[in-house]
Amino acid sequence: MNSSSAEGTRRQRFDSLVTVFHQDMYRFAAWLSRDTAVAEDVVQEALLRAWKSLDSLRDDAAAKHWLLTIVRRENARYFERRRLETVDIDNLTASQAALIAETPDGKTDDLREAIFRLEDGYREPLVLQVLMGYSTDEIAEMMGLKQGAVLTRLHRARHKLKDSVARE
Amino acid sequence: MTGEHDNEFRDLDLKIAKALQIDVPALKMPELPAIEADNVATLPVRKRSRTLLWYALAASVVLAVSITIRTNDLFRSYDSLPDEVLAHLDHEPWALQVTDEAVSDERLARAIPASLASYERGAELITYAQPCIINGNTVPHLVVQGQYGPVTILLMPEERIAGALPLDGETVKGVIIPFGKGSIAFIGSREEPLESIQEKVINSVTWTT
Repeated sequence: MNSSSAEGTRRQRFDSLVTVFHQDMYRFAAWLSRDTAVAEDVVQEALLRAWKSLDSLRDDAAAKHWLLTIVRRENARYFERRRLETVDIDNLTASQAALIAETPDGKTDDLREAIFRLEDGYREPLVLQVLMGYSTDEIAEMMGLKQGAVLTRLHRARHKLKDSVARE
Repeated sequence: MTGEHDNEFRDLDLKIAKALQIDVPALKMPELPAIEADNVATLPVRKRSRTLLWYALAASVVLAVSITIRTNDLFRSYDSLPDEVLAHLDHEPWALQVTDEAVSDERLARAIPASLASYERGAELITYAQPCIINGNTVPHLVVQGQYGPVTILLMPEERIAGALPLDGETVKGVIIPFGKGSIAFIGSREEPLESIQEKVINSVTWTT
């Protein structure tokens, strides 16, 4: 295979993976950062990094895990660089508020805000399990935790959400 | 844990999944730098290639000393297409919501790239549409509401099969039927009559690959 056709094939492979997983990458970044503008920046950086290291992805069946891991690292880098202040729920920027903007049917607004209020350590495993479909041992590996710790955080996250929704 | 408790948290999870599904802006691809020709790899062969799998496993044994990457994620494989289809359902449980909220035409178009297939939308209630990966290929994943709950449809233009393959999960059943040079999977609850949905979908889909 000559270099131009190889690069074309590489680009085709990348485009195909990004088409499939872009939504997951953005949603994961948005719920990690709690800021839609930051999420867009993180996804852009993650796409660049993924493009450069695409050849390290041996099997496209592992692409989702690989891309989300890159998003997670890029999000951490973003906050290391910016040293952003803690989110103040009563004084959100426009791009933070966009994440909990009212839904068309209004049915999920309270729950979305409750998820937004969850501590990072509870919100991330919940997103990985409920939205991304990962098992607790996979989440433990991604977050560098023991499986028991993940189970505890998921249990507490659900109870916090259940309680906060019941209070509304 | 009681059954009632299970149901309560399953219901909560469906609500959480819905709340987490925020709108996603259109993809803005960054400017991608040229990659050095020497570093450009050819596409990996499909994962059912036992040769690649054995090479990969052999390599992973060597690398395991210094690398902590979990090889079962990188080289996850399934014995058959039905196994992979059923496993895929387990990975997207939020897709199986009972709802009367149809996905938009734009979302449906994003899930079914024009390079793969065209889909003529009819009266069916499509409540989920997402491009997914099955056996290394992009596969539009749709959910329509059937008589007994959500019915999953996977449009697989690259999966040629010789004849219908039954799908039998713990609580679901279905079939993968050959369709042109590819195939389509239909999975619903055990009570769901899938034939009428199959007929509608077959009459709506055209492969474009």
